[in-house]
Amino acid sequence: MAQIALSREETLINQLKTRFPQEIKETKIDRARRVTVTFEKDQVLDIAKFMRDELGFDHVKGVAGVDYPAHKKLEVLYFIASYSKPEIQDIIVILKTELPRDNPVVNSVVSIWPSAHFHERETFEMFGVKFEGHPDLRKLLTLDNWEGPPPMLKDIKFPEMGQR
Amino acid sequence: MTTNPSQARPPAPPTAVTKTPEPSTLDVSVGPQHPGSGHCRILIRVDGDYIVSADPDIGYVHRGCEKIAEYRNYVSNIPHLERPNIADAIHLNWAYVLPIEELQGIDVPPRGRYIATIAAEMNRIMSHLYWMAIMAGVFSGHTTAFMWGFGDRDLFIELAEMLTGARLTYSFLPPGGPRRDLPYGFEHRLTKLLDYFEKRLPEYDRIFFSNPLLVARTKDVGILKREEAMKLGVVGPVLRGSGVKNDVRKMEPYGAFADLDFEIPTFEEGDSYSRFRVRFEEMKQSVSILRQALQNIPKGPIARKAPLAVPEGEATGRVESSRGEIAYMVMSDNSDKPYRVKIMNGSFRNLIALPFLLRNVHVADMPIIYGSLDYWPVEADR
Amino acid sequence: MSAETLQDFAGVWIGKMSEVVRAITGSGPIKYLINWSRMYSLWPVHITTACCSAEFGAMMGPRLDPERFGMQAVAGSLRQCDLLIVEGTVTKKMAKRLKVVYEQMAKPRYVVAMGDCACSGGLFHDSYSIVNDVHKLFPVDVYVPGCPPRPEALLSAIVKLREKIRREEVFA
Repeated sequence: MAQIALSREETLINQLKTRFPQEIKETKIDRARRVTVTFEKDQVLDIAKFMRDELGFDHVKGVAGVDYPAHKKLEVLYFIASYSKPEIQDIIVILKTELPRDNPVVNSVVSIWPSAHFHERETFEMFGVKFEGHPDLRKLLTLDNWEGPPPMLKDIKFPEMGQR
Repeated sequence: MTTNPSQARPPAPPTAVTKTPEPSTLDVSVGPQHPGSGHCRILIRVDGDYIVSADPDIGYVHRGCEKIAEYRNYVSNIPHLERPNIADAIHLNWAYVLPIEELQGIDVPPRGRYIATIAAEMNRIMSHLYWMAIMAGVFSGHTTAFMWGFGDRDLFIELAEMLTGARLTYSFLPPGGPRRDLPYGFEHRLTKLLDYFEKRLPEYDRIFFSNPLLVARTKDVGILKREEAMKLGVVGPVLRGSGVKNDVRKMEPYGAFADLDFEIPTFEEGDSYSRFRVRFEEMKQSVSILRQALQNIPKGPIARKAPLAVPEGEATGRVESSRGEIAYMVMSDNSDKPYRVKIMNGSFRNLIALPFLLRNVHVADMPIIYGSLDYWPVEADR
Repeated sequence: MSAETLQDFAGVWIGKMSEVVRAITGSGPIKYLINWSRMYSLWPVHITTACCSAEFGAMMGPRLDPERFGMQAVAGSLRQCDLLIVEGTVTKKMAKRLKVVYEQMAKPRYVVAMGDCACSGGLFHDSYSIVNDVHKLFPVDVYVPGCPPRPEALLSAIVKLREKIRREEVFA
């Protein structure tokens, strides 16, 4: 595979690291156009504001939750990209943060990125992550038939699943 | 009648969007049983003939695709991950195998990429014809375009059946490349069909897209301005109808799109009519892409063998489907079943535009706005 | 005659009359006429459950033209429809509403379970949020297997349903 210059991704990481030296725990360039940044969950609003105002990332593609029961943590991933700045509009930045599995609470980014509205509702319903500050946090996809636990957690096993 | 459409429409009363019901409003449930594609319930609050606010209630077709994906191996996941948008199944399939091929380090040979491109562009035309038929026949009462849309779509489905063996649910792209090569006689039949379809497109324009009744119903209805579209994060024809030139085929070329020459239609007004025209122009561009791909397709192998297990890692792949950008994130843990599959598709991301646009509009504008967003509930609910 | 004897006499007479009416209309040419009119005007409910609806739409198109059998999707209200085609997967959230839809249709009403998901669960049979067997909700007349079934298969199911209507009793 030809080596594509990764200068935009490296500039991005340098800007983030200079601004938030302690809060950013780890950064990685997976390949061209994909940057992964792991940070502390308390700084989510500051990092989101910096990314929107200084760097120009203006929308959220999705919010995913990943369950690691062995490590007793829940990861929340935000997929961020930009429409307004043409020079970075093909980069996806994946912001990762870890939450303790028994009390997954994090601040909601809806006040900064309104596009995260329905995504956060879905993550709340599927993984039980509470987003504080969300204007309308209720279940989205399984509203009136599901009284059980959040279905996507790994230790919630449905007995008939995977049976042939 | 040739009155100016914006003058003929009286202005909406200035009602604020509040949570508490005012004494003069009524809550109506446009329930899950309604004509149109799939089940979606919108709770609208009306004040006379004007919708004050809307609240979508989705999840009536939620089948738990992401949870099921963790219990089946990578290749067995393809049939049920392509069902959410059955009219456009190749794109969902392709977006799922792109991250798997990236994790396994497989390069699909050029001929395989061209074949996948041909199948994908045929699928785009089929999906836009389905949209046109439902938009015409069900939402705006134009039954001729309903019949024409389904009639011409069946010709493309026959060709897809010749190529892949199935009408709608192809499962055509396992990791490594397409399953089959182009059969004998396929190029000839596709060229004949494209000649016929290019003659039909001006007829669609005359009867449906430039129909004065349709223009009066859709011009200046549901205007989504450029900054709002970017802030809400909408995708696909909704985004391009609001003036943002953004298409994954140009940003991050996959398949054979790096070698092909095509344009991205963009319109500035942001109303429902410009979203209609974006889809119409995209059909024309797809015809041109198909012709170029048939001419330039190289010879050689079509696929590489892919192992069953995927090494540990995480990758995100995306394609541009007919409803917008579809991105799949696949996380693997060195076994033959994925650890996590996250689906971000166009219909779910466009959903945020629905309560945003359904404010201070007539009740009769609701099917037009809903149809112009091309919201497919099965895809949004996964 | 006292009031009670008059009432008893009237009751018996009306009962006998209704038996005679049933015997006349339930057999012979009138039964043929009633069943003929029912089978030639099956109006389906405008409901598109899940992915099989793409093939349902293809069947209503010009290629197969079910309108020659009198089947057009014209009725907006459920009370005027006769045929409920359950296309695709029925989730638990939707099952409640499907039952309401079925009960709102006026008799005689018929149900076609289209697709593997409606017949027995299909591809998603082990999901946590679906109902595997639609016949738990209401009685099904014709099952159409396939994922999705071809439009020709759905049309042949409609023809079988018409055959079933032609043979059935008027007063079930």
